[in-house]
Amino acid sequence: MAEEKIILREFKVLNKYGIHARPAALLVKTAGKFTCDIFIGRKGAEVSAKSIMGLLTIEGHHGSVMHVRIVGDDAEEALAEITELFENKFFEE
Amino acid sequence: MAITLKELLDSGAERLSLELVWGEGRLDRPIEEKAINRPGLALTGFFQYFAQRRLQVFGLAEFTYLKSLSTADREARLRGILEKNVPAIVISRNRNPLPELRALAEEYGTPLLRSTMITSHFINECTLVLEELTAPRDRIQGTMLELMGIGVLLQGQAGIGKSETALSLIGRGYSLVADDVTEVVRTNEGRVVAFAHELTRYHMEIRGVGIVHVPSLFGVAAIRREAMLDIVINLHPYTNDAEEDRTGIEPGSIEVLGIKFPFYSLPVSSGRDMANIVEATALNYKLKMLGHDAAKELDEKLIGRFLRKTAG
Repeated sequence: MAEEKIILREFKVLNKYGIHARPAALLVKTAGKFTCDIFIGRKGAEVSAKSIMGLLTIEGHHGSVMHVRIVGDDAEEALAEITELFENKFFEE
Repeated sequence: MAITLKELLDSGAERLSLELVWGEGRLDRPIEEKAINRPGLALTGFFQYFAQRRLQVFGLAEFTYLKSLSTADREARLRGILEKNVPAIVISRNRNPLPELRALAEEYGTPLLRSTMITSHFINECTLVLEELTAPRDRIQGTMLELMGIGVLLQGQAGIGKSETALSLIGRGYSLVADDVTEVVRTNEGRVVAFAHELTRYHMEIRGVGIVHVPSLFGVAAIRREAMLDIVINLHPYTNDAEEDRTGIEPGSIEVLGIKFPFYSLPVSSGRDMANIVEATALNYKLKMLGHDAAKELDEKLIGRFLRKTAG
């Protein structure tokens, strides 16, 4: 059986207001497009990136570092889109 | 859009205490302007400006003035008005038409109507009736319900379960206004009133069951003749990439008769109790109208907390 693809990354939250409702919704929408499982959070306390209520609990304020773990076949594609969101400050200030 | 005298009588005769004195065969005449005119100045012989496309109302003032004239003058002045081919003449206060007026109406083929109302009341009420008859209207696809004072239009492709969802909501005590096809009219105040076509009113079609009569099955509390539209809810098949609003902070909007309404698109999939979700959507909208926006408040709480953490 082929090994499941796992990607681990760290991202700094760059936008001023952090991962509040709008960025959380963007993450959920993006994650929902892929079949792979995507987890975001702090070390030892991660939530599914497909759960908006989960994302609101990780307290991703400005300057905090978020661990991202992606497991599944389309992990590379998912990583590319999630990277884009973090790097572009979720398209806000 | 001009309406005919017949349309005015059909929908307004009772409200306006209006009866036809003469002109049965002339009811297809259009009323081209929806305002109403009192022809006082025209009766004095002034025709440089005369609103001849409007209904002409003869009240106490006009009658008293006409009676002060000689028979010949009276006939001539009235002829001056009827010559203009006015849509119809209405006599208020239930007075009998003067013989000259009656004769001239027949001569020019101008319908003659009579109302028991006093002139000012008639003018107010008739203006409202004319406004309603000429208001922008449309017939749109969708099932209209009333939930706790919130008018909800349920839309979605055929077979998605609009009527079935409506049925569940009726079972919970809410009211049906129209099934599948809803008539809408814009009011002067910029709101939209929704109701059913009179032929199908209070009926709905449930797949596999057929056409049912809602008040016979659920009682008269289950129906409403009309409701103001507040929100539009669309049911769509569940997909992974649909553009749904995941936070409810920025709901979409949709235009009905040129007026914007909040628009919520709800995904349908097995196991989702749509009636429950439609109910929650309407309740949440009501809460927002009361000034309590749960999504926004939670977001503000989060942002406040994040900003403190960033600073600390």
